[in-house]
Amino acid sequence: MFHAKKPTMNSHDRPMCVQGDSGLVLTTDPKPRLRWTAELHERFVDAVTQLGGPDKATPKSIMRVMGVKGLTLYHLKSHLQKFRLGKQPHKEFNDHSVKDGERVSALDLQRNAASSSGFMVHSMNENLHITESLRRHMEAQREQLEVQKHLQLRIEAQGKYMQTILEKACETLSGENMASASYKGDGSQGIVEMEAMKDFGTPVNFPCLQDLHIYGEQIDMQQLTDRSSLDGFLPTNDSVCLGKKRPSLHGGSSKNPFIWLSDDFRLQELGNMAACLGSQEDSFKGEHLQIPPSTINSTGSDLDSLSDVYETKPILTGDAMGEKKFEASKLERPSPRRASLPVERVNPAIKGAALSQGRNLPYG
Amino acid sequence: MALAIEDAMELNFSGNSTTTTTTTPEEDYTTCYYWNDWSPVIDWDAFPAAHDDFRGLIESIMENDEPHQIHEVFQDVSNSISTTSMMIDEEPEPEPGNEDLKGLRLVHLLMAAAEALTGANQSSELAQVILVRLKELVSPTNGTNMERLAAYFSQALQGLLEGSVGVQGKNYRDHHHQSDVVAAFQLFQDMSPYVNFGHFTANQAILEAVVEDKRVHIVDYDIMEGIQWASLMQALVTRKDSHPAPHLRITALTRNGNGRKSIRTVQETGRRLIDFAESIGQPFSFHQCRLDPDEAFGPSVLKLVKGEALVVNCMLHLPHISYRAPNSVASFLSGAKALNPKLVTLVEEEMGRTGEGGFVGRFMDSLHHYSAVYDSLEAGLPVQDRARVLVERVFLGPRIVGTVGRIYRGGGEEEGECSWGEWMGGAGFRPVGISYFNHCQAKLLLGVFNDGYRVELASNKLVLGWKSRGLLSASVWTPSYSNAELSTTSF
Repeated sequence: MFHAKKPTMNSHDRPMCVQGDSGLVLTTDPKPRLRWTAELHERFVDAVTQLGGPDKATPKSIMRVMGVKGLTLYHLKSHLQKFRLGKQPHKEFNDHSVKDGERVSALDLQRNAASSSGFMVHSMNENLHITESLRRHMEAQREQLEVQKHLQLRIEAQGKYMQTILEKACETLSGENMASASYKGDGSQGIVEMEAMKDFGTPVNFPCLQDLHIYGEQIDMQQLTDRSSLDGFLPTNDSVCLGKKRPSLHGGSSKNPFIWLSDDFRLQELGNMAACLGSQEDSFKGEHLQIPPSTINSTGSDLDSLSDVYETKPILTGDAMGEKKFEASKLERPSPRRASLPVERVNPAIKGAALSQGRNLPYG
Repeated sequence: MALAIEDAMELNFSGNSTTTTTTTPEEDYTTCYYWNDWSPVIDWDAFPAAHDDFRGLIESIMENDEPHQIHEVFQDVSNSISTTSMMIDEEPEPEPGNEDLKGLRLVHLLMAAAEALTGANQSSELAQVILVRLKELVSPTNGTNMERLAAYFSQALQGLLEGSVGVQGKNYRDHHHQSDVVAAFQLFQDMSPYVNFGHFTANQAILEAVVEDKRVHIVDYDIMEGIQWASLMQALVTRKDSHPAPHLRITALTRNGNGRKSIRTVQETGRRLIDFAESIGQPFSFHQCRLDPDEAFGPSVLKLVKGEALVVNCMLHLPHISYRAPNSVASFLSGAKALNPKLVTLVEEEMGRTGEGGFVGRFMDSLHHYSAVYDSLEAGLPVQDRARVLVERVFLGPRIVGTVGRIYRGGGEEEGECSWGEWMGGAGFRPVGISYFNHCQAKLLLGVFNDGYRVELASNKLVLGWKSRGLLSASVWTPSYSNAELSTTSF
């Protein structure tokens, strides 16, 4: 469902909510009065804009551009006149970035006000007030969108940085393990850990690690991603990460407005790393994050054999996962994530999406 | 259209909305209200037994394993306290009353132990007995929130009893394996907004303050892995064209007494930051300022450059280590004042009104604080969750132990009593307002987590809280007068 929502979340997309047919609504007055619906008006405005603005456009040309059956010059003449009048104090409503709903309501008011010439002035004042509050509202929303954009970038940067920490930690671990194995002869313990890990259940990482360990080589990303065992692997990161700029890792692709990608990513990496560290068997409802148990403290330094593997592990979260994984993860979304949305949401879609795509790892 | 989407979202998640707590929001508020109102020291007069019979009361608590018998004993108190929300249990199978009573019993035992340690009827034997009993009932890795929490608190009290909690709180880094620490940190960041809230709020304030500066110098009290600066650098690099990215310099503070591991960590952090800055094109340099244990922090230990905007960053919230001796923080902030920085960003944990109540009062307040933290972490995760247990083990537990130790030593009108924000106000700093952008950012950040998180805007700070309990405050300061003699000069 979130896929469907995606296109609508970009504020620069054409608004989609008004989807009525393009039939005209005529009243039953003796004088044929056309009902200017929101959608119709929008088309009108488009046409006018296309023609260079209300001052340049003529009813004839508008009619031609709009191409709406049943629309007469008469209709267009009067509407255009009102539009020109209304345009001065209400300039912002002609801005296409305005959300459609608001624009419609303001224009409806404008239309209503302008239709009875006697009350024109009075109504225009009313309109001004409404305009003001609407404009303030819109500005606030624009600002919130700005904030959201920046926040998203910042979190991504943080995620990228976090990744270097994880990589380093893996390297360190590997270093320690190597050292201890060779000098203390505790390598066997590392192997024991590996064996124990093999016994662990579903989590994807383990079979991978197992193989990697056995072959004891640096397995590059390609091999890892080809592995079928990665199937249950946390997909969120990948599909969600589509737009993430991780030049060294992902072939990132489409844009993604959601902000918790980096978190997912890190968690996934963490899952990798944690898995490396010989975590205990506990898995969270079949999720893949493994937490290093207290055993790590005593034997952590002995997991040498896992070390090389971990070099590549954080990179593992590559781009192999397909859309289907995304679906799967979506379904596993944990329930505790709340559904009700706080009052001042800038873009509910983001949160919703984040909820679905993110943080569903061990939190099942 | 936005509305349309919202509605759709509501629909989709309606089934999932209220599974996190067993009480309605109103009840939560009510309970929290009660809890805040509840005087830190229990009203012993409410008990059937007189105050002098304290020992008998405790013994009766401990001997009785039957919940209903205990219930009788605590009848009066229980009636006035809504017990259903402070200890929130996810397991609905046992009678809710039972679990709540168990939790309540733990609270009372803890309080009794704290009383026994420091109260009027001070008795270490009694305290010991209570703690032993507690130990039987709780475990840091199993059970409900209250049980796991009580485990750490009783461990803290045990430490006080034995005199084993040193002046310097234990540095968790030295006690846990590096991988554990990193894993726990990652998890903690992902399961809660605490870490990010502090960092992002401070960063935004810094960004706004240095918008026209070409050189920025940040002195960081506790840089840890340097995660805070990644997003700041990103923001600096993407500044508007009229203000190209300034040169950023970060000086990280370490004290030589803190263990060689922490010093090595800082060195690595420096390398990492340098690499990161290079990868995004941010001009950057890193310095480490190593102080001797008793060396004061001030202009003499820093290399300052003319024309740079100096920012002092003091992060004291989880998982930063702040249970170091309060002297350390005070010395740092005093030194900061002498440096005449452009801005000081401070993030600390909110503690409730402490007022009278002495050790027990502050102990109970601390218990309340961390129970709110535990609740907030649980709100997103199932109860028996290893991730939370790890975070608790690596960060929360040690912090609890350190906090209790600090409270114990603090006693009286010392820095332990008031918050650092209050201290700043009286030390020659004046507040700097929080911008709309910053406030908005915080709300957005919280918006991804559970509903229970709240952010409140005060004049110069944002307070992040869980339900009605404030937990973390991020505040911004600037010197209240600018001393020309102390302005930055090259050394």
